[in-house]
Amino acid sequence: MTGYIVRRCIAAVIIAIGVAAVSYALLSFTGGSPAVAALGTRATKYTVAIWNKQHGYDHPLVVQIVDYIWNLAQFKFGYSYRQGQSVGALLNENAGRTAYLSGAALVLALVIAIPLGIAQAVKRNSIGDYVATAATFTLYSMPAFFLGLILIQIFALDLHLVPAFVPDSITTTWQAVIHPLQLALPILTLAGLTVAGFSRYMRSSALDVLAQDYIRLARAKGLSERMVLTRHLLRNACLPIITLIGLSIPGLLAGNIITEALFNYPGLGLLFYDALQSLDYPVLLAYTVIGGLLTVVGNLIADIAVTVADPRIRLD
Amino acid sequence: MTESDPPSGGDYKPPPGDFEPPEGEVAPRPSVADSIGELGDTMMSPAGQFGLQRPFGDLGPETGPEGGEVQINASGWRLALREFFSNRLAIVGLGVLVFFVLLCFVGPLFYHTNQTVTNPLATDAAPNAGHLLGTDDNGFDEFGRIMVGGQTALEIGFFAAFMATVIGTLYGAISGLAGGLVDAVLMRFVDVLLSIPLLFIVLVLATRYSATVLSQSLIIGLFSWQVPSRLVRGEVLTLRVRDFVAAARIMGGTQTRLVVRHLIPNALSVVIVNITFLVADSILLIAALGFLGFGLSYPIASWGDMLGNADNAVTSGYWWLVYPVGGCLVLVVMACNLVGDALRDAFDVRLRRR
Repeated sequence: MTGYIVRRCIAAVIIAIGVAAVSYALLSFTGGSPAVAALGTRATKYTVAIWNKQHGYDHPLVVQIVDYIWNLAQFKFGYSYRQGQSVGALLNENAGRTAYLSGAALVLALVIAIPLGIAQAVKRNSIGDYVATAATFTLYSMPAFFLGLILIQIFALDLHLVPAFVPDSITTTWQAVIHPLQLALPILTLAGLTVAGFSRYMRSSALDVLAQDYIRLARAKGLSERMVLTRHLLRNACLPIITLIGLSIPGLLAGNIITEALFNYPGLGLLFYDALQSLDYPVLLAYTVIGGLLTVVGNLIADIAVTVADPRIRLD
Repeated sequence: MTESDPPSGGDYKPPPGDFEPPEGEVAPRPSVADSIGELGDTMMSPAGQFGLQRPFGDLGPETGPEGGEVQINASGWRLALREFFSNRLAIVGLGVLVFFVLLCFVGPLFYHTNQTVTNPLATDAAPNAGHLLGTDDNGFDEFGRIMVGGQTALEIGFFAAFMATVIGTLYGAISGLAGGLVDAVLMRFVDVLLSIPLLFIVLVLATRYSATVLSQSLIIGLFSWQVPSRLVRGEVLTLRVRDFVAAARIMGGTQTRLVVRHLIPNALSVVIVNITFLVADSILLIAALGFLGFGLSYPIASWGDMLGNADNAVTSGYWWLVYPVGGCLVLVVMACNLVGDALRDAFDVRLRRR
């Protein structure tokens, strides 16, 4: 067990270093040096070359990558010349709001998907099962922004329940938390996309568990159906969800960019979107690396959590 | 020959659910003895194909090694195809895909619209006789634009998926065959690429290379081969310890021959299933790119670009600029996913029978 966890952590560190290296290479392939951002568009080739030399952008790519990873290890993310701030400060400022949006969406998705998947498995091949399958399948095939647009149409324009876009007054994480109605649509959009994937897995996982002998035994010894479902089915069927939460992180991060851009919600996704338009390379690089690292860490935690939660699993 | 089969001369009854002769056509029911006699020249006699197909479908697993692997395989593929076409949802999905291919590529030949020159006098017009789905904020006919936009979506989706599959198949086969350190290094690289969300990579690259159908296909195709490579590697790892691969190696087959002739054809089913999901994902991805403003450069149309201003259209009440194109997007992606699910089920059946 300990051996497995140690080996898994070492692999995660190696992958994390790889993520940083590949992201850096990708960015330098795309444009890389922030010289133009620092010096302005009228800078001559000569001044750009001097600037690059001063800031280490004339080194071979490998040296630059090693430098970058060394800085990352000290939590130095670079400096955004477009915004005149360190990237670390920018990330720090926006991370809370994005974490809140993603966390709320994830929790909502779990609250919907787990009971839905179990109900579908218990009443499999009923009308309700078919309707739910069709609904989640449609959600699964839907682009995030289109789902968001439909929600805007229904809940904001037709029913006037919530604002269509996140108002500018939401500037801090705390304000986002205490105004749930203003954030209802972005959270719902992100949750809808996540539910689509989760409930399909939940249904098949619950179906697998239902076919197990211990469920038959539980029924045979006269447990009420309610007890069978809550005591035996729920806990076992939820095990794959742990892995699934880890795997859903890239989707959530990508969904964040689209949702935040659509609803104009100031978070990391919107920061990334603005950086794309102004070609703010240090910000692009930093968030790409962070996105990759979050995925690596999420998968690591999920893997370890599964082995802890389910002693039957031995991943040696 | 199994014992449950009747002696020669007896009528052979196929198990229910298996091959049934088409209605209205009285297929001659060959006796078991007849079909055994025909075993030798299966492929040579095109006549009586129905009669031949049945005993092979049933006897496949029992015919032993000298029964010929080719036939068992072929019947496996046929079995999968039959299973696929008996799935109603698969037919619907396939039908929707065919409909959209026709609509997007043949439709513009009959429904002539101008999609290159803007018309400031006819912007945001509601649907009318001249413009079935109205016009957009540039005065382009929306229905015609859905057609040409669909062309790029389908082209990029299929091309990117094809490229990713080819790269992934070769990468996975090499990794699985090489084993050891090479395998470990190659697969760690896949882990790295899988960890960075694809949308991030594609968006960053799109800031510089986004203009054309080709470049967008390349961007997506070059960075979405990780899943097929893992699938193929997994298949290769299980296949390479199988007897027929060992036999090919003992007979002096080269590594290339092993990969091209034995491993890839046998790992093909997982790859084919994955292609459909790749197409769906790629279409969603370019739609997201277009929506965020990094789509194809003007005047090439794409569904994502058409939805780029959709938030304004929704708030202004221009429903025809949002729901038709969004609906097309969802339908095409859903059709790909349906076909993929059905293919997976069909190949599952084939593997069970094998």
